[in-house]
Parts: sequence; structure tokens; C-alpha cells
Amino acid sequence: MSSTPRSRLLADRAARWIVSAGGLAIIFSILGILVFILVEVWPLTYNARVEAAKVVPLPGSPAGALLADEHRTLVAALGADGRVRVVRTSDGGVVAARDLLAGDTAPGGLTATSVPPGNRLLTGATRDGRVLIAPVEFGVTFAGQDRVVTPEIEEVVALPVDPEGRPLRAWSAQLDEEGNATAAGVIADGRLIVVRRSTTENMMTGETTETVSRFERQVPQSVTVLVLDSAQRNLYAGTAAGEILWWPLSDGELDAVRASSAGHSAVTALDLLIGDRSLVIGQENGDLSVWFPTEQSDGGDRLTRVRDFPRQPGAVREIAPSHRNKGFLALGDRGWFGLYYSTSHRTLWTGRSPLANGAGLVYTPKGDGAYLSGEGAGEGKLAAVDIYNPHPEVTWKSLFGRVWYEGADRPEHVWQSTGGTDDFEPKLSLTPLLVGTLKGTIYSLLLAIPLGVFGAMYTSQFMHPTYKRYLKPLVEIMASLPSVVLGFLAGLWLAPRIEDAMPALVLMAVLLPLLVLLAGYAWSRLPRAFRNRFPLGTEAILFVFVLALGIWICFALSWPFEKVAFGGNFQQWLLAATGLPYDQRNAVVVGLAMGFAVIPIIFAIAEDAFSNVPSNLVAGSLALGADRWQTVTRVVLPTASPGIFSAIMVGFGRAVGETMIVLMATGNTPIMDWNPFNGFRTLSANIAVEIPEAPHGETLYRTLFLAALLLFIMTFLVNTVAELVRQRLRERFSQL
Amino acid sequence: MSTSVIQTRDPALDPGIQDPILKIENLSLWYGEKRALHDISLQIPEKQITAFIGPSGCGKSTLLRCINRLNDLIDGVRTEGDIRFGDASVYDPRLDINALRKRIGMVFQKSNPFPKSIYENVAYGPRIQGTNRKRDLDEIVERSLRRAALWDEVKDRLNDSALGLSGGQQQRLCIARAIAVEPEVILLDEPCSALDPIATARIEELMQDLKSQYTQVIVTHNMQQASRVSDYTAFLYLGELIEYGSTEKVFINPMKKQTEDYITGRFG
Repeated sequence: MSSTPRSRLLADRAARWIVSAGGLAIIFSILGILVFILVEVWPLTYNARVEAAKVVPLPGSPAGALLADEHRTLVAALGADGRVRVVRTSDGGVVAARDLLAGDTAPGGLTATSVPPGNRLLTGATRDGRVLIAPVEFGVTFAGQDRVVTPEIEEVVALPVDPEGRPLRAWSAQLDEEGNATAAGVIADGRLIVVRRSTTENMMTGETTETVSRFERQVPQSVTVLVLDSAQRNLYAGTAAGEILWWPLSDGELDAVRASSAGHSAVTALDLLIGDRSLVIGQENGDLSVWFPTEQSDGGDRLTRVRDFPRQPGAVREIAPSHRNKGFLALGDRGWFGLYYSTSHRTLWTGRSPLANGAGLVYTPKGDGAYLSGEGAGEGKLAAVDIYNPHPEVTWKSLFGRVWYEGADRPEHVWQSTGGTDDFEPKLSLTPLLVGTLKGTIYSLLLAIPLGVFGAMYTSQFMHPTYKRYLKPLVEIMASLPSVVLGFLAGLWLAPRIEDAMPALVLMAVLLPLLVLLAGYAWSRLPRAFRNRFPLGTEAILFVFVLALGIWICFALSWPFEKVAFGGNFQQWLLAATGLPYDQRNAVVVGLAMGFAVIPIIFAIAEDAFSNVPSNLVAGSLALGADRWQTVTRVVLPTASPGIFSAIMVGFGRAVGETMIVLMATGNTPIMDWNPFNGFRTLSANIAVEIPEAPHGETLYRTLFLAALLLFIMTFLVNTVAELVRQRLRERFSQL
Repeated sequence: MSTSVIQTRDPALDPGIQDPILKIENLSLWYGEKRALHDISLQIPEKQITAFIGPSGCGKSTLLRCINRLNDLIDGVRTEGDIRFGDASVYDPRLDINALRKRIGMVFQKSNPFPKSIYENVAYGPRIQGTNRKRDLDEIVERSLRRAALWDEVKDRLNDSALGLSGGQQQRLCIARAIAVEPEVILLDEPCSALDPIATARIEELMQDLKSQYTQVIVTHNMQQASRVSDYTAFLYLGELIEYGSTEKVFINPMKKQTEDYITGRFG
């Protein structure tokens, strides 16, 4: 006898532990998910670090042009003495060297050296008006486990810019893989000369023929810097008066100049970011700005000042663009040195240059470092800088605000994470995805809230109990349909049908409610003796017939209606009348499909809320002579309203997080508009689409996790609010 | 006149009421297959208090709810026989049930104020009937609360939630709510079963005050209450009307043994 209470006690305790353990496990796993997401997102907030690493000697005269290999083992430098030296970054030992002026009779070395956009050429200008171009390649081989980087200084191309042999004041040169070279220079009398060497290979003989052409143009202003893009199609110049000049080139010939003013301070540095669209301009007064061509109202392109970075304490001398993104380094007078990112408009780091008089600057190909050349203690130096810069492209503004992307006419919200080329500018604005999420949610709730709530109201308050028994399991089946099936049906079956049946659908939206109201009115005019013969709640059968008739009428009238109202084609009419395009997989389709998925959730919770309204309140109201409708609207609905709110919130949460339906039933285009006949892309679908392609740990990967975090927060908040409201409702019911 | 009733006259069932306001005629009721009321006939006098007594499950509440057809809400209920209210039949298929319920008010076992303010609870019925003018409503609310002897207690907090009132106050509020629509009959379904003796006494007192204006039918478990408040008492047992007569007669000199056994506490 005594063992029974004891075993019961044990069972009781065990049950309590198991239940508590289960509950805690759920809480911990949710927290675990949250922590995991946070851990993946958090690095987005890391700041860039730039640290001076090592200074090694760099023989020869100060080198203004530097190139580094991918693995940061070698640096090629072109000095004023005309020699290319490839040195080891570890100790400054010279690995290879070549004299570009070898065999030259004229004395005196180079007037200046530089690296043109493209990061594979060293160029220099001679005192006799020639430009020398030396391509440098770094080959990688493996000797056993060791990586061997072999520099290769290829054949030097010399282009005589000034036929009279005078030195160039400003110049720039490019050489492409086919051997086509262009050099542009400004000589002392203000003439701009462009020399183009094109090589054509005879397919039959294999002979190559060279043609050299030369164009001249008088430039009124005093040009300080020239830059030629790597495709040799655009020439940019900065002047002492702060003007930016831009000449598009066709076959080396200059088009009309397009001038823009960058203020009065002389342009001291000019370079193109990767992709050759964005121009970084550094000025005498320390101004640093990014420009790119934008379309003007007259149809032409003009350089537009898009972003300004904070003014630096001295003139900008060197700009080194990144090889992999829209970032760049800048070096200026008084030893300042900075790391910037164009798209996100971020000044990632500024500080002091490791060398007081920096002459050359190169950003390493992997973006993990930089090399500066300069003079220190009477000899040439090469300073290495380590850069840790994981996610420069992300700021709150770039994620949620408008960003002026290259080639766009104005700042806008764009999500376009990848492009076909390496110089593509990733556009990671979450705003279109948030808008898409809200759009999908709103269109589906537009359907689901009225149907779910009114359906629940009808079922719980008016419907005959016999039908209620069949209806509730039916709605549960609706809820148990896998969303991938719904999405599949919506995308492949429903969407094309809706496209055809759009006029009928429009007609239904107007006709069906009218018809139901009319039928209700007609019913109320029937003699009471007739009406009272039907048990309460069976009138609904009549309305099923009315609705079926209405739907049939709408389909029957679809074609005539389309002809009369929409000129025979709804889609064309829509475009002509409102300017809205019709996309087959659109918000209406999603609204129907996702609405279908959300209805059972809203229905179930709302039905609960209605049914839990104590029956003695209903009886009390009826006993006062109120009819059922008055009872429902004046007593049941106000009492159940927190539950209805909660139902809508939970439905909202479900719609926000729903993935498969929106993935399959929309075109997944991240556009921002509220046109019901257009597609969209939601946060959840975006994660599903892009996470398999996102490189682990990169910005896109972490941004997708940020999207996941946003979804988590949204659904968590919505569900918490819903639950709190529901608890309050429960308290309220317990008082009644 | 009611010749047919005179023919079947049984002194234990017919106290000979003149001009009854309600005439229950051979009423039977089934819940599905189960018969809950057996052929009940009784007449309810105007502006008197009639009590239905009997043990649990005897059908007294069911009978009460037949009078305002609140049993219609229950699925599978079927009735035979009739209830005549004035000149009309309560079960006439042409009847507007809502209009009937306006004339026959009801107070429930568990007080059921709406989750609204005190004012709105009382104004609910008049609003349903289409009275929306503030001044009219104010007047109705005050008059009803005064008649329900609640005015002095709540006049300063008419806009507070009715759920904040005590149980007895809530029940009086429900009475005020019922009389706000000016019914002719008030049905009280064990109105004091959840109340303490003081609150019960106040309700009983109130019932006496209301007698001058309303016909009242009360279902009660409490025989003392029935004997205290009612003028006529009907004793039901297992769905049958055993005895019906003036309260004095039923309690002091019952004609049936079952009645005597019940009121003397031998079963129930």
C-alpha cells in the first residue's frame, strides 16, 4: 500500500523533469540558432585594420611604380633610373632586373613612372618625350610543396608621344593582351597628343603588322594628371584649376571633351577603380572624391561627383585601387595614408604612412596588404602594410538606404549580389527584399484575413453544428498541405490560368460580394414561416449555390468583359492605361497561394477565440432580444478581438517566413514596387536562392545571415506580441 | 374561455389562476432521443412570482428556457405542445423570436455582465432596440439601476468595467440590464446560487419590489427561497410536473407525497 504513493511521486517527478527538460531544450535550441546567426553576422561590424609590417631596402632611385604578386612574395618596382627591379618582400633581395633604357643614347633616366589602371603594367616617361610600357607577370609553379613565384618582365613597348623629343608634363599609357598600345601625353605648349599602335595579325601568314596613328588636340587648361582606362577607350585628365576633362576615344581618336569642375584646387591624383567606371580624384587641398559618368537629361553622359570622402590634411599624391573590389588606398602629403571604399562610402581607416616620403603605392591583389616605396635615411625603402578588411562594402546605409551605384542615374535600393565579371559592384540593399517580404505578406493577408476571420466567425457563431464537424478537419487538411506543393501548383498551374482569367477575377471581386449581399437581402424578405423551417446555420447551403452561380457567371462573362472593359487584352490594357507591366508570376498569384496557406492558421486561432467567448454572454445578449448578428458584432467580436489580433499576427508571422511558395510562385526579381501584377523577392526566398552560391565567410554570406536575423527578429516579435495578447485574452475569459 | 383546461382539471396541478400571462400547454421536450419534459401544462399569473423547484435534472431550467426559446441554441432539441404568451404562441413559426425575447427577459444562474462598462451593460438592450440618443439612454440606465437597487452603489463609476463589481452587484446589474428593455416577464434561472446570504437577501428584496411591474418566474434549488419569495410554486420531478399551486399550499399542505418528501428534505 505504501509503495503506490511513492511510485506515483517518482512518476510525477520524472514527468516534470522530462517536460521541463524538453521545454528547456527548445528554448536552448532557439537561442542556439539565434547565437549561431549572430556569430555569422557579427563580423560585418568589424572595422578595418591597417598595420605597418616591415621595411626592407629597395635599391636604386625611388620607385614611383610598384606591382605586387598575389602571394605577397615579390614586388616589381620601376625607378627613375629606368630599371625594373623585382625584389623579395621578405628581405629586399633583387630577384630579377631589367633596364628599360638599355641601349638608349639619351641620358638622364625617366621623368616619372606610374601604374595605369589594370594593375599589370609599369610605365615610365623618358626625357625625350617617349612613353615606355613594361608588362609584368608573376608565374606560379610548385617545387614540391613550395610555391615558387617567378617574375616575368615582358617585352617593353615604347611609344614616342612628342615627335620633337620634348619631355611630357603629364601622360598615361596602356597596353592590351593583343599588343595594342595607346599613350597620351601633354607637352609643354599645352597640346595633348594621343599615339596608338595597333597590331593586326594576318591569319594566313601569321605575320603581324603594326600601324601607328597619332592625334592632337589643344587643351586650354594646364593638365596635371592623365589617366587612360585599360580598354583604351576613355582618357581622363585633371587640371591645375580643378577641372576634370574626359575624352572618349575611338581607335585612338579623341571625341569632344566633356569637362566637369571639382572645385578650384588642382587635381593631384587620378585613378580608376576596378571596372574602369569610377574615377577617384585627389586634389591639392586634400579633397578625395569618386566620380562616374551618369546619363543627363539631354541623353549624354557626364562625369558626376558621386561621393566625397573627408578632406585630408595634405594634397593627395597616390591612389591605389583594389584588384578585387571598389576599395582603394590613398597616400598624401604630410604622411597621411587612408583606406576607403567607394560603394559603401566608407573611410575604413586613416593614419600615418609608414614611410615619410611615399613615392609609390600598390594594393596587393588579394586586398590583404599594400606596399609603399620611398626614401628613408638616404636610401630607397619598401614598406609592407598588412590590411585586414573583411567586409568593407557593408554599412547600415548600404544595407537599408539608397546607394548610388556605378552606372545608375541616381541613388537607389538594389539587391544584385553577383555579376558576370570580377569588377562587378555587389549591390546588397536589403530594402527591396524587405519590401518584397511585406508585399507578399500584405497581398496574402489581404485574402487570408477576411476569409480566415470571417470564416471563423461564421463557423463558430452561425454555422450549424453538423457542418462544423466536417469543416474543421477540412481546414486542418488545408494547413497540412506542404508549402512546396502549394508553390508548385501556384507557379506552374495557377499562374498561367490566372493570366487568362484575370478579367473574370476582376469581375468576381466586384460581383460576388454584391451577389451575396443581394441574396442575403432576398432571404431576409422571404416569409418568416418559410425561413424558420430551416434550422439555424443551414442557410449557408443556399449561399454556396449563389457563390457557385456567381463564379460561373464571372467566367462566362470573362471574355465579353475583357473585350468591353480592357479592349480585348487585359495585360495590354494594363500596360497602356496604368503603365504597369504584367508578370505571369505575380503578387496576385502569391496572394492566392500564400493566402491559402495562411487561412487555416488564422482560421484556427480566430475560431478558438470566437468559440471561447463564454456561451452565457451569447445567451445573455440573445435574451435581451438581440439577434445573432447584433450579438456577434456587439458582444462576441469585442470580447474575442484580442484573439483575432493574435490570429492575424500569427498569420503575419507565417507569411513573413514562408519560403517555398514565394520562391516558386514569383519571378524572384528584387524589385521595389507595389504593383499586384508584378513579382518580387522576399528575404526568405532570397536566402534560399543565394546561400548555396555564397562563399563561406564572405560579405554576401554574412549579409544573407543578416537577412535571416531580420526574419528571426520579425517573426519572433510578431509571435511574442501575439502570444502576449492571447495570454491577456485568456485572463479576460477566466474573469467572465 | 379555457374550457379544455377545466375538463382536465387536477387540483394538484391547477390552482385556478385567472388571466394568466403565460400558458404552458402539454409541453414536451427531447434532447435528441432523451425526453426531458413530459407533457407539462401550467399557467403563470401576471405580476406574481412563480417558482419552479425540484431536484437537479428535473427539467425546471429547461422549462424556463422554453419560455423565451433559449433552448433553440442547443443542437438537437425538439419540442411538442405550446406556450401561449398573451394571444400569441411562442412556437409560432412566424414569430419574431428576438421580439419575443425583448418581452421576456432573463437573468442567469451565473451573472454574465458583458465585458463592457456598467453603463454600456444596461444600455445594451435599449441600443439593440434602436434607442441611441444619449439623453434617453442616460435616463433608461438611471431608472433601471435605481429599480435594481444598484444606482447608489455605482452612480459614480458608470464607466468602469462591469467585471469589477461584486457577484451580488453583477447579478443586480444583470437584472437592471434585463429590465432596461421593459420586458413583461422576467425569467430568473437560479439567480442566487452563486451568491452569499446577504447578496441573496438583497436580490430577494429586489424581486418583491419588482413584483408590482413584472411577472417573474424563478427557478431555484433553495426551498426557503421559493417559500420566501414566490406566490406560486411548481414542483417538477424527472421532467414531470408533480404539483403546482400557491406557495403557501404547496409548502404547508402539499397534495402529493413526492412533494412533501422533497420539501421536507427526504430526497433531492
